[in-house]
Amino acid sequence: MIETIYIEEKIRNHPRTHFILSKFKKARCIEIDKYGEIFNKRNQNFRIQKSSPKLILAHKSSGLVLPAPEGFGIGNSKNFYFSHMYNCIYDCRYCFLQGMYSSANYVIFVNFDDFNAELEKVIEENKGTKITFFSGYDCDSLALESVTGFANHILNLFRKYTDVDLEFRTKSLQQIPFITSKPMKNIILAYSLMPEIMSSALDNKTPTIAKRINVMKKLASKGWSIGLRFDPLIHGKNWKVLYKDLLESVLNSLPLNSIHSVSFGALRFPKKMFKSITKLYPEEKLFSGPLSNNDGIVSYDYEIEEEMTSFCKDITIKYVDQSKIFKCSV
Amino acid sequence: MKNFFFGQIKLMNKKNKINNFSVRWVIALKEEAKTIINHYELRPVNENHLFPIFKNVDETHWLVLSGIGRHNAAAATSYLYSTSNVMQNTAWINIGIAGCGQGKYGDLCLVDKISKNFGQSRYPTTKPRTHLPKMNLFTSDVPINDYSSQELIDMEGIAFYDIVSKFTSNELICLMKVISDGPENNIKSLNRDKIINLIKSNINNIEEIVSYYEKLSQLDFLNNQKTYLFTQITSNWHFTVTQKYKLENLLRRIKVFLCDKNVLEIIKDCKKGNSVLNILNLKIKQSEVDWSNS
Repeated sequence: MIETIYIEEKIRNHPRTHFILSKFKKARCIEIDKYGEIFNKRNQNFRIQKSSPKLILAHKSSGLVLPAPEGFGIGNSKNFYFSHMYNCIYDCRYCFLQGMYSSANYVIFVNFDDFNAELEKVIEENKGTKITFFSGYDCDSLALESVTGFANHILNLFRKYTDVDLEFRTKSLQQIPFITSKPMKNIILAYSLMPEIMSSALDNKTPTIAKRINVMKKLASKGWSIGLRFDPLIHGKNWKVLYKDLLESVLNSLPLNSIHSVSFGALRFPKKMFKSITKLYPEEKLFSGPLSNNDGIVSYDYEIEEEMTSFCKDITIKYVDQSKIFKCSV
Repeated sequence: MKNFFFGQIKLMNKKNKINNFSVRWVIALKEEAKTIINHYELRPVNENHLFPIFKNVDETHWLVLSGIGRHNAAAATSYLYSTSNVMQNTAWINIGIAGCGQGKYGDLCLVDKISKNFGQSRYPTTKPRTHLPKMNLFTSDVPINDYSSQELIDMEGIAFYDIVSKFTSNELICLMKVISDGPENNIKSLNRDKIINLIKSNINNIEEIVSYYEKLSQLDFLNNQKTYLFTQITSNWHFTVTQKYKLENLLRRIKVFLCDKNVLEIIKDCKKGNSVLNILNLKIKQSEVDWSNS
């Protein structure tokens, strides 16, 4: 429930601002100059804010589309990402957003058309190269779709560029606009997954894994391509049994030709980010695991990471061609 | 084995749950403060000082009388900060009467935006899920009789906020105003008794808001406090500063696998701090998080 909405003066009368405000009729609206006044302020308590986050409507003027970090990709030679939103309605304990921003408030950039222009520019500059765009690097791509309509908006652009891939990464059950649109071969609906008992401990406020699998099945049956993202892989008692059950359950639930790609990612935090997150949630079980600091990155020991990835890959390969399996090393 | 009193751990943990919150009040006039002083049973600390300070027996609530205006508010806030054992988890409250172009005489309002004649606005947070109205506050250097362009008007708010936000998080700062004058209620008709009554008639609402900040302050304290186990171990073995930091991390992690008593049991024969760290490290490496009992 959003009680307060901060609105940048510049976009006060933007049609999308009015559209979003119409969804929160009882919210108190406060005009601001720049979203950074609220969002980037020092001395904010992330944990308190997360219990009652506010919404900030803003205009994004630069950095609309950025190159994805090395090691982030699903086969194409160039990868870019963009975020129409900062922060997430979910509260996953391994999420890097907890340590990245000082604020837990949600920022929505309403100038979607500027994202289109920037995306088209990047596509033009990379003509002849296979590229993938990732939506939802700084947020969940679809969790607030009913409020923003961003996916619906951006899909129209990608109908024009059928050889350019776009991935929506999500944990949500949001099916609109996909359930009502004709499937597009260049769109990947990617779902983050982990064994249910781990998810119920770590994926706070998210739909259950079983519900996510049901939505995937529905969308796959409509003809949409599905991405399976086991990222991060979480260690713990019986992890082999838990991941085996999960992988087999997912891979047996979906028509195999609907699977675009499967990726596995390790649990990793830059040291500074890890320090902020553990300060926020010192009692969190996740951080009691066999983590250590290697060259400024806090992660499971190399052997554990490798063992987990290989184990999961060996199961997946029985269902999915190796060329569709990736390791995310960001 | 070192001389530990296991029973005390439980007792200490229990004790720590009581009154670890910390609240500081900055109020301009003694008439505005009277009800707060009575309600929270505050006693004078330095009555004849330029900025009189009051506190309760537990020393969880401290209050300073700042006098009118931005400069007084800033100076009094700093003075209270330096004299009242302020902690990182201290919540700061400014309450007072205010003129208002809208709203109803006598209403208690929470402030979520503060501005002055020039410069950037400030955005304090407010208690969520409350029936109380939220308003913008304009801090003026001179009394204003033209209420038409503003919601709330005071003479201290922005200075209080600017100083306090230097030493606490935005979520622990609260500004509340009771509407005392406006187009329908002439400021000249305000007197001592009326001001006291304006605050007094809102004491239940004030208490509700203050108890929210007490809870936030308490939670923040519990989140950041050193555990009793840490204190026990560091008082029995010598650790360097870096080792203490490592110990704190290891104790945070080992809590998932062992209770305090068992931690003490496995380190009881250690001769040096370094061997305590090694044993804890080894135990964590050998343990696996059990997700089934989350």
